[in-house]
Amino acid sequence: MSNLLVRTIFSYLIIFVPPLILPWMFIKLVGLGGLRDLVTYEARDTPLHKLDPRLKVLYPIAMGILSIVLNWDFMLIVFGLSVIPWFWLKPSRAKVRVLMVMVIGPALTGFWSQGLYYLPPQPIHYIYQFPGTISWMGSPGITAYGMVFGLQQSARVLVTVSTSMLILVSTDVGDFTWAFERFRMPPQVGFALTAALRFLPDMISRTTLVLRAVELRGYDMSRPRWFQVRLWPDYVKRLSRCIVIITVPLLVGSLRGTTTMAMVADARGFGVNRRRGSLQEHPLTAYDIGGYVILVLLVGGAIVLNHFRIGARPY
Amino acid sequence: MRRRLAISSNSELVADDVSFAYVGATKAALRHIEFGVDPGEVVLITGVSGCGKSTLALALCGLIPCRIPGELRGQVMFRGKPLSGMKPHEASQLVGMVFQNPNLQLINQTVVSEVAFGPENLALPHDEIVRRVNWCLDVTGMEGMRKATTVTLSGGQKQRTAIAATLAMKPQILVLDEPLSDLDPVGAQEVLATLQRLARDEGTAVVIIEHRVDEVAPWADRVVLMDNGRVLLDQPPRQAWADAAPWARTGVGVPDVVQLAHALPDAFGGELPLSVGDAVGQLADTWVVPALAAAGEARALGAASGPRSPGGALAGNGRLPAGTAISLSGLPAGSRPPVLAWEGISVEFDGKRAINDVTLRVAEGESVAIIGANGSGKSTLVSLAVGMGTPCAGQVFFRGQPVQPGKVFEHSAQVALLLQAADEMLFEDSVIDELKFGTKFRALPPNPVLDVEGAIDFFGFRGLEEMSPWELSQGGRQRLALAALLVGAPGVLVLDEPTTGQDAEHMRSFLRLLAAVRKRTGLTVITVTHDIRGLASHAERIVLLGEGEVRLDGPTTQVLAQTEELKRWGVLSPPLPRLEADLLGHCDDVLLSVAGFVSAVNAYRGVPVDQGAPAERAGGV
Repeated sequence: MSNLLVRTIFSYLIIFVPPLILPWMFIKLVGLGGLRDLVTYEARDTPLHKLDPRLKVLYPIAMGILSIVLNWDFMLIVFGLSVIPWFWLKPSRAKVRVLMVMVIGPALTGFWSQGLYYLPPQPIHYIYQFPGTISWMGSPGITAYGMVFGLQQSARVLVTVSTSMLILVSTDVGDFTWAFERFRMPPQVGFALTAALRFLPDMISRTTLVLRAVELRGYDMSRPRWFQVRLWPDYVKRLSRCIVIITVPLLVGSLRGTTTMAMVADARGFGVNRRRGSLQEHPLTAYDIGGYVILVLLVGGAIVLNHFRIGARPY
Repeated sequence: MRRRLAISSNSELVADDVSFAYVGATKAALRHIEFGVDPGEVVLITGVSGCGKSTLALALCGLIPCRIPGELRGQVMFRGKPLSGMKPHEASQLVGMVFQNPNLQLINQTVVSEVAFGPENLALPHDEIVRRVNWCLDVTGMEGMRKATTVTLSGGQKQRTAIAATLAMKPQILVLDEPLSDLDPVGAQEVLATLQRLARDEGTAVVIIEHRVDEVAPWADRVVLMDNGRVLLDQPPRQAWADAAPWARTGVGVPDVVQLAHALPDAFGGELPLSVGDAVGQLADTWVVPALAAAGEARALGAASGPRSPGGALAGNGRLPAGTAISLSGLPAGSRPPVLAWEGISVEFDGKRAINDVTLRVAEGESVAIIGANGSGKSTLVSLAVGMGTPCAGQVFFRGQPVQPGKVFEHSAQVALLLQAADEMLFEDSVIDELKFGTKFRALPPNPVLDVEGAIDFFGFRGLEEMSPWELSQGGRQRLALAALLVGAPGVLVLDEPTTGQDAEHMRSFLRLLAAVRKRTGLTVITVTHDIRGLASHAERIVLLGEGEVRLDGPTTQVLAQTEELKRWGVLSPPLPRLEADLLGHCDDVLLSVAGFVSAVNAYRGVPVDQGAPAERAGGV
């Protein structure tokens, strides 16, 4: 009987601890303020920073193609490839902290949920089989097969996250605009991206400030301890109400800022010419050529493998 | 009948009988403006908030009427061509505009890409873009920061980047709307020096719209006073301030040294000084120096023989021992239990020390100003008092109880913090709801000094209870945020840069309000500011922060006498203390107001020159 009780408690922990760790990890390691670091450019003098912006725009697309055309067995390899350039970039500690949470969060979610709920064909080899007191909830236990599959699923998502973040961290938005122009896209696309990337951190900072201001005005935003279960519904209610409260100052501030920004953009001649000039010249370097070759080899290789039904996804 | 002001035949930019009313406005923002700008001149436009200065700036650079809808009459012309018919990018190559808030006008992520943005949009050849960018960065002193990301820049650097980006459009005239409002005095001097260099070396005409006339006066060739949408006067500075009447009538600040010259005409020989340097030159060999020295000695003797207000003295090296504060009675505040105490506080951001081992105690009922250059850690330090931020070492105490980091809701009942952006603290649809906001979530103590009804009367909101806070003026919204905080009956009021961007009249009314609040509630007030002349000099005690450490801490009159030490940490003492210190070579404490200065020197007017002249004794001025 006691054995059943212990197994039941252990099973409950396996099921409920990971989803509780994720928000805790986000709040403790990143927080709302930390989100600023997610999209901010870090000006450094690395070869990655100097690469042709067109190559940088193509890089996430190429890696995205790999993650789409190759099957699950290749996903961890593709993800591993997407991580390699990060060692070249050497980002700041703050950035690494945010990135780790952004990577570990989905990885843990996939690993855990598929381990519990993805059932391989019979016979199933469980790492841990739940007792009947738990298995009635839908998961008979946790399987290695499911966990590996979960990791592969996460890797497919994380390839896009890793490559996009790498480019955001290492590319000045002016270079994005330049690359979009060379791809014959309208300058408005580049400007929209520029404005978003430039002002998103500001918006996050302002949201943090206004949330503090609400508390300063006497609105209770204090979070109950994890074991104060009865207080959590009220906390969620207060949190939801707060969103309504802070909307007005956020909206008013943003609209004011937008008007000024629009006037500044007008005054600086934005949109006057279809083609823009450029301060930066990006002559092709050996690094660029190497980068293009690698991308072509990767995408070409994936297509060839697909052709020979190696790593091909079943359609 | 309107008065037509003289416009020079050299004027490149001319506003010819310009009137403008915003859409839906019942009153015109500009009325029959006659105004001209010559090449290479620096023009200061000033006036109370809402007098039409910013509207005039928008009209001068062609954004009215093409981007700001409304009814425009008359014309703004550049070399005879009307700007109103031009597109914004065409006008901006003739007249460039730098807006008040540099954060909102830096669109790109790095300094160099920001400066290149305009020329790139104009599709200029690569070599021309490079040439313009290099020139703009050089002339604004930003060359060394060309690769820096804009979010990492100080306020002064952001403003200079905005100026560089505007200059890259190669305008002949630069119009700046309150460029100094967010800058500390040293940052302001950097920007003004840049502008003067542009005018002198490049022949660019510069129009500065600013409340901080003390700082701009020495750099201006002309001063324009606006009131109620009109140009009241437009003259060279000395002529403009020769008659104090229009300035007094409009409530616009006049430089302290000008006021002093009006009060002591015989000492100044009838010529108005525009800067402390001018005033020192004019007063150095006059009866004012010995009189000032004698008055200083008398004050020192008075201090030695008994308590004075504010009392106490700085330690021999110009610094009080850490944590030693001065009370109104002249006793160190350490003898009374502090209401707020920062004990050995250190704060780090991304591994960098923002605050380093700061110990600071504030006694009940004290009025303390915390000053320092931008980024010196002032706001970080005070926000710890409400649980915002976490120190990596040390502890903050409120009435002996530790302040828990993160518990903002709990501590905001004890310490009210008015943020610089007071607008961000308003959440309700009406004034009355705003005042009741805090009471909905937290019970008030019995018999509060200021309840909701009391606050309505005290802060002048009777009859406006149902009005939306957004219909109030900027000063009104700030008053409302302050009132709403005080309804919660806090023990300490912390004000973070409360007068940024406000004109002299608003500043005076805010100081009056603050004095009335203190009188009624006996509140301890801590003010974070870089406005030393307007705000800090009204505090009893000043704490100077420099690079995250307390550098000076003592009575206001003594701290402001340490002009060199203040300058070392990026703070300029107000004009009168600087004048006194420069005239006397060295002084332990200084006079803060023009009235005080005048009465002090008049009281010792008979002192012979050879008995005084401490400036000479101290090695000359």
